[in-house]
Amino acid sequence: MSLLRIVLAGEGGQGVQSIAEILAEAAYNENKQALYIPNFGLEQRGGVSIAFIQFSDQRIGAPKFNKGDVVIALSERAIPRTAHYSGPETLFVYDASIQVDEDLLPKQAKKIIPIAALDTANNKLHPRVFNVIIMGAVIGLTGAVSFESAKTALEHKLAAKFEKDPSLRDLNFEALELGRYMAEESLKEGAEANA
Amino acid sequence: MGKIIGEPKKAFITGNEAVAWACLVSGAEIMFGYPITPQNEVMHYWTRLAPKYDRRFLQTEDELSAGFTTCGAVQSGVKAFTATAGPGNVLMQEPFGMAEAMRLPLVAMIQQRGGPSSGTVIYSQQEVTLTTFGGNGEGHRIVYSTSGHQEIYDYLIKAFNVAWKYRFPVFVLGDGYQAKMREPLEMYDPEDHGIELVKPYPLIGLGGKIGEEREPSHLCNIYSMEEELYDVVMKMAAEYEAITPQLMEWEEEFCEDADILIVSHGVVARAAYDAVKALRSQGIKAAYFRPISLRPFPAQQLRDAIAKSGAKKMLVAESAYGQFERLLKQEIYGETIKIEHLFMPGVGIIDYDVIEKVKSIL
Repeated sequence: MSLLRIVLAGEGGQGVQSIAEILAEAAYNENKQALYIPNFGLEQRGGVSIAFIQFSDQRIGAPKFNKGDVVIALSERAIPRTAHYSGPETLFVYDASIQVDEDLLPKQAKKIIPIAALDTANNKLHPRVFNVIIMGAVIGLTGAVSFESAKTALEHKLAAKFEKDPSLRDLNFEALELGRYMAEESLKEGAEANA
Repeated sequence: MGKIIGEPKKAFITGNEAVAWACLVSGAEIMFGYPITPQNEVMHYWTRLAPKYDRRFLQTEDELSAGFTTCGAVQSGVKAFTATAGPGNVLMQEPFGMAEAMRLPLVAMIQQRGGPSSGTVIYSQQEVTLTTFGGNGEGHRIVYSTSGHQEIYDYLIKAFNVAWKYRFPVFVLGDGYQAKMREPLEMYDPEDHGIELVKPYPLIGLGGKIGEEREPSHLCNIYSMEEELYDVVMKMAAEYEAITPQLMEWEEEFCEDADILIVSHGVVARAAYDAVKALRSQGIKAAYFRPISLRPFPAQQLRDAIAKSGAKKMLVAESAYGQFERLLKQEIYGETIKIEHLFMPGVGIIDYDVIEKVKSIL
């Protein structure tokens, strides 16, 4: 695979850094090169939490980058905070529940995609798997890692919780699958419109 | 005790975690530390690992104390280290100066953060001047600037060996990115890699009768006579200069034939290397040179690269406003190559930035 760059941004507590770490670890376990770095300034305490992830077959250079292949903003203020990471080749994703100020959306993007992750989490699954839906969406949009290694990495990260409550495993895997499905569907929608 | 790492193992961890593992396999007995971002996790990981391997940790009341307790521990013959950043690095310059004066084998991990400030915690490369020449002395210290986790691991192992072999304080200079990011590295047992670990030895409390069986061990930090201080510093300078050929470390590529030589250090070198490759693929003859040891600086190697490449221009790229460039300029005084710069204090530099800059000046 050639270099793939992803930006995930949301509020503290939305679990952005957790899924970034799991995705990077899943890629590493597939023997890919992976690099993950959180923003760690004071803004992370009460500001927008941003994760930068890169995947490649080859050695990865600088830890950060100008434009992402996929940029996902999960809160209202995460949109203006990440819009400049979107370029002509970027899939810019935001949660469909956000009341979007059109002016704040990126000026450049290959496609701007609302995904109803929060709504799906709250109404179909459980609010706590919101971030796992997003993780599934990243896989659906990019194929950064295989679905199986994503599940393995999730299992590894959440082993203690799964052991306590095995139903959480199914819930998380369902969230992952739904996220992937929603992302794949969203890409098809565009293709149909273009056709 | 059995080996900490048997077969070499791949790991996907943060740089701070790599620091803790490297110090462990280097045989460090104790860490002295005081919390400061972005090196906090060095302490966190060390305190998690230390009890399992019968190592120790002391959290001191501040950085001055962390530096001085490290100075004390090494005198008793124990491999010890500390880690700090930013204003912590400022405070530690006093104990680091003592380590220079007393020729103490102190090892410190510095994870640079932004400045000027006492509270800015973000990434930068703005502690180059402080770490190389920050003390009230002559900079008789060894500084390795790493570019990623494998080097953090490799150079910390080297740092302990060099410190105990030559008795100069050794610094491994990382930054907030290297501290916080996760990337793969291979961890190994140094001795399985053919690296013999230099054994620590006490510097004070030695056996034998002074004057008869051994020379007195003078670990002096105070001189009241000008002539005496002069002799001490001149001797130290001569000893430092004598070992510099063995300490110089650098990396270079495409320096045989180039129009522009791109010089950088630390994590920025990763972007510079990618930029050089991209420029080459576009037909622009760029070359890559990276000092790994900033003290001593591989000056002759850089002069050689300038000469053999035939480059007419040099681009210095750093996430600071010229700290690295100043160091470089004094080291290659007299060269006539035109020096351009890309200074991005507090901002990460990516290959795109370097490529654009090169195109704007060629």
